[in-house]
Amino acid sequence: MTINAPLPTTVLAGFLGSGKTTLVNHLLRHSEGQRILVLVNDFGSLPIDEDLIRSEEGGTLTLANGCACCSMGGDLFEAFSAVLDYEPRPDQLLIEASGVAEPARIANFARAEPDLALNGIVTMVDAENFEVARSDERMTAILEEQITAAQLIILNKCDLVDEEKAASVQESIRRLNASALLVSAEQGQVSGDTIFATSLSKALSKTDLVKLQHSHKHEDLFERWSYEGKSGFKPAEMRELLNRAGSSVYRFKGLFEDLDKKDTYWSVHKVGPYIDIAPYRTDAVTGSRFVAIGVKGTDLEDILAPLFKVRVDA
Amino acid sequence: MSEITVFKARKIITMNPANAVVTHVAVKEGRVLAAGSESDMAGWGDYILDSTFEDKVLMPGMVEGHCHLMAGGIWNFTYVGYQDRIDPDGRHWPGVKTIEEVLDRLKQIDAELTPEAPLVAWGFDPIFLMDRRLDKTDLDSVSTSRPIAVIHSNFHLMTVNSHSLDLVGYDENTDVDGVAKGGNGTPNGELQEMAAMFPVMRRLGIDLRQLGRTEQGIVDFGKVCNRAGVTVAADLLNELPDEDIEDMRRITGDDSYPIRLASMMNALSQPPEETRERAITIRKKSTDKLRLGAVKIVTDGSIQGFTARVRWPGHYNGAPNGIWNIAPDQLKVLVSCLHEGGVQMHIHTNGDEAIEAALEALEGAKIQNNRPDLRHVLQHVQMADRAQLRKMKQLYVLANFFSNHIFYFGDKHAALTIGPERAQQMDPCRSARDIGVPFAIHSDAPVTPMGPLFTAWCAVNRLTESGKVLGEYERISVSDALYAITLGAAYTLQMDDEVGSIEAGKRADFAVLEEDPESVDPALLKDIEIWGTVLGGFKHPVPQ
Repeated sequence: MTINAPLPTTVLAGFLGSGKTTLVNHLLRHSEGQRILVLVNDFGSLPIDEDLIRSEEGGTLTLANGCACCSMGGDLFEAFSAVLDYEPRPDQLLIEASGVAEPARIANFARAEPDLALNGIVTMVDAENFEVARSDERMTAILEEQITAAQLIILNKCDLVDEEKAASVQESIRRLNASALLVSAEQGQVSGDTIFATSLSKALSKTDLVKLQHSHKHEDLFERWSYEGKSGFKPAEMRELLNRAGSSVYRFKGLFEDLDKKDTYWSVHKVGPYIDIAPYRTDAVTGSRFVAIGVKGTDLEDILAPLFKVRVDA
Repeated sequence: MSEITVFKARKIITMNPANAVVTHVAVKEGRVLAAGSESDMAGWGDYILDSTFEDKVLMPGMVEGHCHLMAGGIWNFTYVGYQDRIDPDGRHWPGVKTIEEVLDRLKQIDAELTPEAPLVAWGFDPIFLMDRRLDKTDLDSVSTSRPIAVIHSNFHLMTVNSHSLDLVGYDENTDVDGVAKGGNGTPNGELQEMAAMFPVMRRLGIDLRQLGRTEQGIVDFGKVCNRAGVTVAADLLNELPDEDIEDMRRITGDDSYPIRLASMMNALSQPPEETRERAITIRKKSTDKLRLGAVKIVTDGSIQGFTARVRWPGHYNGAPNGIWNIAPDQLKVLVSCLHEGGVQMHIHTNGDEAIEAALEALEGAKIQNNRPDLRHVLQHVQMADRAQLRKMKQLYVLANFFSNHIFYFGDKHAALTIGPERAQQMDPCRSARDIGVPFAIHSDAPVTPMGPLFTAWCAVNRLTESGKVLGEYERISVSDALYAITLGAAYTLQMDDEVGSIEAGKRADFAVLEEDPESVDPALLKDIEIWGTVLGGFKHPVPQ
């Protein structure tokens, strides 16, 4: 990775009581060496488990494992400025949006700012109370927006409802968003890798990409695909390829050489409908390499191999 | 020097109905000793007669009940608005009426700047440039060697030149909501909403909140008030960290600082209990020129931005409903917590659904706790209907209407946002008066220019920018409007016992006018020239 690599940014949305704070604590407790910076927006409360906290200064909590948590206050401009100036530079930015925030609006900061990269929008849904909360007409639009904007939806508190109710909430979610990855959880227990895709990034930086396809280290949600080749791509062509790949490719990451400009490299990251192609300044790469994940049963190979074969054959 | 000064004026409007119009006011120790005829002063002892105002009209120092400190610092940037304006130092900036005039002004400023400085302008209003939109090519004709950003008057849009686009890497590969593109697939320079603008603002050092925090910004804010005849101004949203409070105490404490400043802490920056404790703590740091301890709660967005929460039948043009900054259920918790703790709340509510949610929260809080010592205020409260005003009366909740909207956005409200019927009932001062809801009127500067006499003119005439009368019924009389910009606003700040009228015991804060607002043609109310103010007995002429 280059020094200037943008900070991966994940927006965590979900209505009040959906379990965002529990998930945040879970992720901080199992950070696996990642320095996660959490921005909290529900009135700036910092409900982090006491035993994790090492010190508090000026509204920022520092954790023993290198993670930190600060309040977003009332102003996204200030919050993002503070994050971008934060030292030491974190590995992941996790934004716990307020219960009434539109996550797509917050995610748009990460899409716009060159020093940030959108890792995705994660929305938590409270299986027990979702339908009730949604029936308040003043809240309907925002609750639905939180679901439609997400690439990963965590149906939480599944231990508190019977199967029938869980299924009916799932069906409601699916009607709003058919393409997002939908996982069930109890007490906000979802792995950091599912949220941050760290193993995917690591795989990309390794030389032997082929092994990835056979790795079962990651929890059993995904199937994977990878590609390595000598030839380059045009940025616009890459966007077109990924648009054609469609929503079943949950996440796609890679580096590629510019077909028209030798030794000019681009990074590419797709999550859901968002495709980010940005200049990549490095001298440590040759050729083009990509990794992708999709939900098990997606048949990624069938979708992606033909698309990328075009270049190999050419 | 005698400790009593008597100011003689052509006319003094006191706002004290029992002694409505006088010619002399005696001042001692910064307070009004007496208001009356010169002979009424005699019994108080020796005095110095000050005849500076013998040809002028005095009224109580005007109270701007809702504006922002940023109204001073924004003048760090170049003004390119449609209407004429005067900056804090008295420089007259004629309105620019065409894109060519905008570019001419930018070129003029470009020539004055050092080579490395960015050129930032504000106040640009695309509504008046209907034939085509400003784009990067226009701005490239001003400069390609320095970044340029033109902030639109609503602060939700900006147009930048190619240099700025390059700085943030916006190009044909950029796929970001709000980065507008031209016919050739490259960004055309227009950036919409904060996310798209943020990378440019960060790199050009455009920090809007900072504008209201610097010493120069706070001093310039005082000058803006002084020019408008304002002696008390409420800064309606501030994070108020300790270091800022110390700066504000020091700066406002200087005898040369021409206003009393009330600053409302953002209630959404920390959990409710912390907001309550902090408000009570900082209240004790108030001085005679700095008032702290009340809070601001922002519930919805703006009507012109289609982000207000409106009830059925929604937006006139079919736009989706707006945004909540706090869920109604959370609002209930917050309002109850603050009400119980004795913290005065200023609740931003533009749309009628937001007003409804705020009133529900206040009703619940008032059922739980009887706090007759508190006056909570709905701010903007633009779409309140008469039933909601009756509810406000019943709950004893005050209104501060955004009357400047009628002029600046009234045409748009009738045509697009809420339609003719509801637009003509916006900012319903007359209904509030009918029903008995105490009210003030405000500018929300710098969203619209500060000028209580202009705001009064809006409430009296209800003329839109295109010259139409918007809602004749809701017009109020000049005397009601003058009350709203003095005692009415002071009442919303819980300061009516010390400012807002000229009577014995009150602070000697006056606005000094060249003409009598009670006898000019009401259509000319906004054009009355302001000599300056008196604050605590000290004269603060507008610098020439």
